[in-house]
Amino acid sequence: MGLIARVIEAAGIPTVCVIGLREIAERVRPPRAVHLKWPFGHPLGEPGNRAQQLCVLYIALQALYTVQESGTILDPGWRWRREEYEEPDTWVMG
Amino acid sequence: MSDYDRLRQRMGRAVGQLFSQLPELARVWGQLFDAIEGAPVPLARLAKPLHQCRLAFITTGGVHLRSQPPFDMNDSRGDPSYRAIPANTPAEALTITHDYYDHSDAERDLNILFPLELGRELAARGAIGGLGTCYSFMGHIEPPHVTTLLQQTAPAVAVQLRQEQIDAVLLTPA
Repeated sequence: MGLIARVIEAAGIPTVCVIGLREIAERVRPPRAVHLKWPFGHPLGEPGNRAQQLCVLYIALQALYTVQESGTILDPGWRWRREEYEEPDTWVMG
Repeated sequence: MSDYDRLRQRMGRAVGQLFSQLPELARVWGQLFDAIEGAPVPLARLAKPLHQCRLAFITTGGVHLRSQPPFDMNDSRGDPSYRAIPANTPAEALTITHDYYDHSDAERDLNILFPLELGRELAARGAIGGLGTCYSFMGHIEPPHVTTLLQQTAPAVAVQLRQEQIDAVLLTPA
């Protein structure tokens, strides 16, 4: 996935990857990544947990504006189910 | 599906589950990418506010339209091809062919992997400028297919994203 992101970014389109394995991202170095150590197959969270899914979308899209250095991996530290997720109030960015 | 295919699928899922429980095995994956270590990482700037941005989603979770050919699970080195998925595709028209992870939850709620529905909702309420054609690959690509991915299929998607004037891309893994 990181390789695809690098190709697209090199074509001039900003990318952000949600990643589950920091070790791989440190090797592949996608331009921007949000690390969530969650179960495989669940990059945006649990089925039906809309607030959790939107929180991941929000932080990933925000990274498109905040990351200034290529290869940055953001780590929000969200603990899967042991977290109170709230739908973002506003999506104003940039 | 033949008994052999069912067995293969079950074994593949078992390996995927093992993989997800043993990060050490997964770490070995990183070693496949020595070739790009040290290469400069590009960084493009997003100049527009989010509400003007046309987004596209890309997953490596093996999602495809039921009407499209499935990813090739018979090649242990992976399948570097991709499937283009229109933004307005309903979840019922999509399926997942990928034996290396448990996608039963994603089949119940595709938003956890490939958030087309949430993306359409964000576009409808004006949070983003729009959702363009989205794309799906299969992860776990190994040499020699990594070369095909890097030199052919990923650049082909990049060209289409540019033609569709996509401003930014969110990528999600399996």
